Amino acid sequence: MNIQEYILSGAVESYVLGLASEEERATFESLYTAHPELRAARDHFELVLEKQAFDEAVQPPAELKSRIFSELDVESDRKQTGRTKIKPLTPVRSIWPRYVAAASLILLVASTALNFYFFSRYKDYITRYDALVATQTQMAANSQQLQVKVQDYESVLQLIKDPAMAIVKMSGIPTSPAPASATTVYWDTRSKDVYLLVNSLPVATAGKQYQLWAIVDGKPVDAGVFDIKAGIPLVKMKNIPQAQAFAITLENSGGSPTPTMDAMYVMGKVTG
Amino acid sequence: MAALKQRDNDAYGYLYDHYSGSLYTIVKQIVQNTELANDVLQEVFLNIWRRIESYDPAKGRLFTWMLNVARNAAIDTLRSKSYQNSQKNQELTDNVNIGGQSTQTNIDTIGLKKVLVRLKPEHRVLIELAYFKGYTHEEIADIEDIPLGTVKTRIRNALIQLREYLQ
Repeated sequence: MNIQEYILSGAVESYVLGLASEEERATFESLYTAHPELRAARDHFELVLEKQAFDEAVQPPAELKSRIFSELDVESDRKQTGRTKIKPLTPVRSIWPRYVAAASLILLVASTALNFYFFSRYKDYITRYDALVATQTQMAANSQQLQVKVQDYESVLQLIKDPAMAIVKMSGIPTSPAPASATTVYWDTRSKDVYLLVNSLPVATAGKQYQLWAIVDGKPVDAGVFDIKAGIPLVKMKNIPQAQAFAITLENSGGSPTPTMDAMYVMGKVTG
Repeated sequence: MAALKQRDNDAYGYLYDHYSGSLYTIVKQIVQNTELANDVLQEVFLNIWRRIESYDPAKGRLFTWMLNVARNAAIDTLRSKSYQNSQKNQELTDNVNIGGQSTQTNIDTIGLKKVLVRLKPEHRVLIELAYFKGYTHEEIADIEDIPLGTVKTRIRNALIQLREYLQ
């Protein structure tokens, strides 16, 4: 770089007047140690500026001096007693706003962090609450089912306990596909209602249904079809006013008008 | 100089008597308000007192350093929130008192400001913004809506002119 050009470029004035950027200042300071003429140009401009300022200075009000110096004395006392640490590069009026700004920034960060924390906790609780509600609903439903079941069993027990109930044990036909089958008819001697208990019967094949018959004076009378369902101990069949025996055959779904004799599984006579 | 760094009261008394006028002038030219200028001058001397260690004679004259302390303090005040707020409240009064600006016109026709009026208007406005209002080159480019390169060139040319007028 040509130092004369640099001197005439306005760099000296910019530096002295405090208009130079950090970078420009650094460049200037690195150059003037090596170039006495740059230093001379700077000194010259500084003197011109200083003279100008002196020649036309406006004096401050006289009372300002005592005000400023009493303030300096306070500062001086502070410094000596060491009560306050003075940071030389920080202008006095910007200290408080900075502390306040720093404090509010810290508060903001802390509050944001807390918000995130509480929000994640909140989401966690929502999930757990939902899970609890689901479990509770499930348990209520289970309890409902159990109650219904218990009521069913209680009514069944009531029927079986009834002394007016005639019991007809029906045992397996040796020639049937399942000789070990067994069923029981509970027959209310007053109302003539018929209830069937399936002790043991093979599962009906597809398209087939078991049918109960009452044998009245040697003739089979339809007493209804039934399916074997888990959890249903007694099936109410058709009302039969009188009968000497009961039998069960396997028929096509919906039942038949007359029994298929060779598909008879169980039979039992009414005693007494 | 050593006496200043020792914070000797007599040395500061001399400093004040010698330089307060020049520094007061620049402060007044920037803040444009006598009462505010008094407060700023107080702060300028506090700052000089506190920061005297950071003054490096190799980097320039003591006056140059103090001038920049004064200019920075004045510009800081100008840019501070409290000042900007009070300024809004004052606008009305200022508009009413158009006739009563004799002291302010006075302060604007001395020192650097006097030389400033001899510059071309487009140069003058940039020095006003950069030196008396403390805006960076980038901010000036924004305010004046001209390219940053133009700002830099104009300021450089203005400074060259200023030096010649000051001789």
